[in-house]
Amino acid sequence: MTELVLEGLSRTFGRVRAIDGVMVLDGTPLPLGSPTVMRDAGLRFIHQELHPVRGLSVAENMHLDRRYPQRLGLGLVDWRRLNRAASTALDRIGLSRISPRARMSDLGVGDQMLVRLAGTLIEDDGSALPWLYVMDEPTAALTGEESERLFSVIDGLTIRGAGVLYVSHRMPEVLRLAHRVSVLRDGWHVSTRQIGETSQDRIIREMTGRDLSALYPPRLTGRPGAPVLEIERLTAPGLTRVSLGLRAGEIMGVAGLAGAGRGALLQAIMGAVPRLGGIVRLDDEAVPARPAAAWARGLAYVPRERRSEGLLLRKSITDNVMLPHLAGFARAGVFVDAMRQTRTARALGEEVGLRATGPGQPCEALSGGNQQKVVFARALAGKPRVLILDEPTRGVDVAAKADIYHLLRRLSDEGVSILMASSDLPELLGLADRIIVLQGGRRTHLLENHDMTEADLLAHLYDAPQPAETMA
Amino acid sequence: MTGALRRSAGIVGMVAILLFFTVSLPDTFLTLRNWLNISQQISMLAVVAVTMTVVMAMGDFDLSVGSMASLSGVVAAAAFLQGWPIPAALGLSLVVGLMGGVFNGVMVALVGILPFVATLATLTVFSGLAFLVSDGRTVFGRDIPSAFSDFARSGLPLSSGEGPALVLPNLTLVALGVALVVWVVLEQTTYGRRLYALGGNTEAARLAGLPVQALRLSAYAFTGVGAAIAGLMYASRVASANPTQGDGLMLTAIASVFLGMTLTRDGSPRVFATLAGVLVLGVLDNGLTQMRVDSYVREVLVGAIILVAVGMSALGRGSALRRS
Repeated sequence: MTELVLEGLSRTFGRVRAIDGVMVLDGTPLPLGSPTVMRDAGLRFIHQELHPVRGLSVAENMHLDRRYPQRLGLGLVDWRRLNRAASTALDRIGLSRISPRARMSDLGVGDQMLVRLAGTLIEDDGSALPWLYVMDEPTAALTGEESERLFSVIDGLTIRGAGVLYVSHRMPEVLRLAHRVSVLRDGWHVSTRQIGETSQDRIIREMTGRDLSALYPPRLTGRPGAPVLEIERLTAPGLTRVSLGLRAGEIMGVAGLAGAGRGALLQAIMGAVPRLGGIVRLDDEAVPARPAAAWARGLAYVPRERRSEGLLLRKSITDNVMLPHLAGFARAGVFVDAMRQTRTARALGEEVGLRATGPGQPCEALSGGNQQKVVFARALAGKPRVLILDEPTRGVDVAAKADIYHLLRRLSDEGVSILMASSDLPELLGLADRIIVLQGGRRTHLLENHDMTEADLLAHLYDAPQPAETMA
Repeated sequence: MTGALRRSAGIVGMVAILLFFTVSLPDTFLTLRNWLNISQQISMLAVVAVTMTVVMAMGDFDLSVGSMASLSGVVAAAAFLQGWPIPAALGLSLVVGLMGGVFNGVMVALVGILPFVATLATLTVFSGLAFLVSDGRTVFGRDIPSAFSDFARSGLPLSSGEGPALVLPNLTLVALGVALVVWVVLEQTTYGRRLYALGGNTEAARLAGLPVQALRLSAYAFTGVGAAIAGLMYASRVASANPTQGDGLMLTAIASVFLGMTLTRDGSPRVFATLAGVLVLGVLDNGLTQMRVDSYVREVLVGAIILVAVGMSALGRGSALRRS
């Protein structure tokens, strides 16, 4: 059996250069710092961020890290062989429904991920099959169904004798897939155990250095109060006549499979996509379909993709926090009051548990969890009535997740209403008072969250729509 | 860390240039008279570059500023030929600049054409209009009112005594005024901060409720008016107007902003950094001319210095990213 030994390695794997350490493959040290060397040694990497080339075909995306098949050795692309190689690899993970000629941009994020994975299965002429896959949060963008498909691919790989180094925050996946679990914290190796010798609680304790048994803090105050946000027959691209009513201090979850319209609902409420019909009312007053109007009326939005939709990565924490509130923090509404901005950003950073060197630090230097906290600080800067959250803990480490859950609970206790779309069912069940279920852009259920299990909720995501459900 | 290193490298480079000319031209370079002269030489470039900073803060470009400067000059001259009074002619030129800028803004922000393509097209349009208005000829001397051309030749007297008096040229004052206004708008108002936010991430800015189209459209008005002011300054200085006299401004203005960006902490375009970039290019031009370096060689040197400065800044940024 091939064995890879890592010793004292601070940064591995070529994308970031290793500073020091050795990587030993079957007794032979590997040179550090080059993706090509790692590839030739039979290692394959699936990074968390997809970076697909949207304008190229599926087959071309699968060949980005290798030579295209050529005609006559003249550098002319042999399109037939290119597509055949891609199609064989796609078949191997049961993706024959995707055409290698399709444009990458026509695929959903989940399919793009699976295509990227299939790309590593293309056999090069002569060279050995890859034997170690390194996957960094491969399910971050996948639905439950797509994740299951990925897991069966992973099972297939391990049966064939390949190893998988699976990096994830998602405990159920780790427990389901892994034979051994290594825990790292703050860049240090904490432990490596057989799966039978550890448990979710133990892993979380080792990851965070503290006990997170109360990951989802309980509600302190009584039931939610009067209705605040009323949405009637809201229609938008990907969304059909969805109605709901959000009460003061209520946390309402939005559940659904990928493409069910979770994101579309939130974006339509904020006016970030055109509304084709319906009305959004805050305190009985209509909210116009413009993000500026929504923010001004006290709706605050945390988008799903914090890097592309949320942050100005090169700008400071202060600039990012202040973005929607510039006029409110300026002298005469026009002239920037830098001192006040910095003061506010610092206070909000403390409120959300942000760990940074100071309000002037550029966001690109922060970890994913801290970047997400910056987006939350922005949402809180205007003292919002309603928080509209799309995947609020996506790609966030466990400790930051816990911070965010406590923050949400505290805000809801203070009377802020929260509408939270998520593909993370445990977090919906852990926090929400009620859960609205969408299928194909329509509301199919509005569930009271009493002693519901993950299986109950999952069943509601898949079942056939019920006719004529009354409004809650 | 790297930012500081990068910036100090830029400042070291500037000091090196100054030292070189001071040693090479001991009698003339480091005199107040020469520096007042430099300030006048670079005043038009400064106006264009400073307004270009507004557009570049959003991550866009305006390639049409050079031909807009030419157009504004010949429009004023044509108005003079028609016997218009000076304020009316100047006003007309500025309105032409404003309209040209807004037109660019409409093409980029509302129609959605890439700034490079849209302003490349209007560059050609404005240039053609300049030839049309002037009939392809240079408008000279007696058709230009003397009050107009005298403006560029006078200024605030700084000394009284024998010899030719030292004056702070009017054109320098105009450039400083424009720079001050743009600095306040871009760096001290919420409007300016929003432009920078657009440059950071347009989608994030839109979702945060910023009026992206209106902001983008309005920013191009600055380059349009800035180019028109520069065109008038040029026409006043040479007491004539021809349909190509502003053409060289565009590339140098963009180069100045890039040079300035190497001096700022986060590599973003800032008004005073742009002025420093303008000054470096102006000093180089002045010093090399005094040393009787051939003008073609001068161009090669200026181009090389831009490459070195921006290249070092890019390398610095790259290593910063690799380490983070």
